[in-house]
Amino acid sequence: MNGIVCATGVELLMEFLEGVLPPDVQRALEEHVAGCSRCAAFVASYRDTPRIMRDATSATLPADVEASLRAFLRARTDSFRSK
Amino acid sequence: MNVPASEPGDEALAARAAAGDHSAFEAIVARYQARVFRLACRLTSDTDAPDVLQETFLQVYRHLASFRGESQFGTWLYRIATNAALMHRRARARRPSESLDVFLPTFDPEGRHVATPAELLVASRADEILDRQFLAGKAREVIARLPDPYRDAFVLRDLEDMPTADVARVLGMEPATVRQRVHRARLMVRGYLSDLAGVKP
Repeated sequence: MNGIVCATGVELLMEFLEGVLPPDVQRALEEHVAGCSRCAAFVASYRDTPRIMRDATSATLPADVEASLRAFLRARTDSFRSK
Repeated sequence: MNVPASEPGDEALAARAAAGDHSAFEAIVARYQARVFRLACRLTSDTDAPDVLQETFLQVYRHLASFRGESQFGTWLYRIATNAALMHRRARARRPSESLDVFLPTFDPEGRHVATPAELLVASRADEILDRQFLAGKAREVIARLPDPYRDAFVLRDLEDMPTADVARVLGMEPATVRQRVHRARLMVRGYLSDLAGVKP
């Protein structure tokens, strides 16, 4: 036992993954996760969440929005005058 | 963004644009417009993003002369875009905040996860299990439901993939606060994905 249970470990996850915890706490958490299949699964899904959300919200710039931006900047600045 | 070696770097372009070279400003717009639009969609909505995009580049144009290179140009531009988005959002009617606490993980009295490893891992497979369009709609929905402080930190840190230190500079807070907010948001969003993929938290 190193004092870490799943619930306390979860609260430290962000700092754990960014490596900003005190070394002894970092080590204790590593040990807990290595021996706890539930935490190993939780950490994996916690790490995957940003990637899944990034892919799902990756909007592309529509051509009409780009055209409006250029028209707007032409009217409000000295740029986009040529062509 | 990776700039090919043959093209001028951001700082060089910014200096030329500040000196009145319009083609340099146009090159900056071309280089960053897609990223600013994506950020604006994530911080506001698809409907508001075009306005935020315009406001951002107008501000960039006006303030180019004050860019001194203390930070990277990209970080400086992101700060302007983020502020434009937050201003825009503030001008809108406050949306009712819905609690996402129901998606937080649950523990037994000894502090152990209640769910099984297989259940805990389901969120990781949300993009395989769910229809792409369906997930895209739900992902936007949950970001809009996050309380603003969590949303801002999560969008910049996790969706725009900015280092925590840069997010702290852009949002004007301590890195520890950024981590705490990103953490809360990530827990909620993770539970939400899990729920969508069929496992109740």
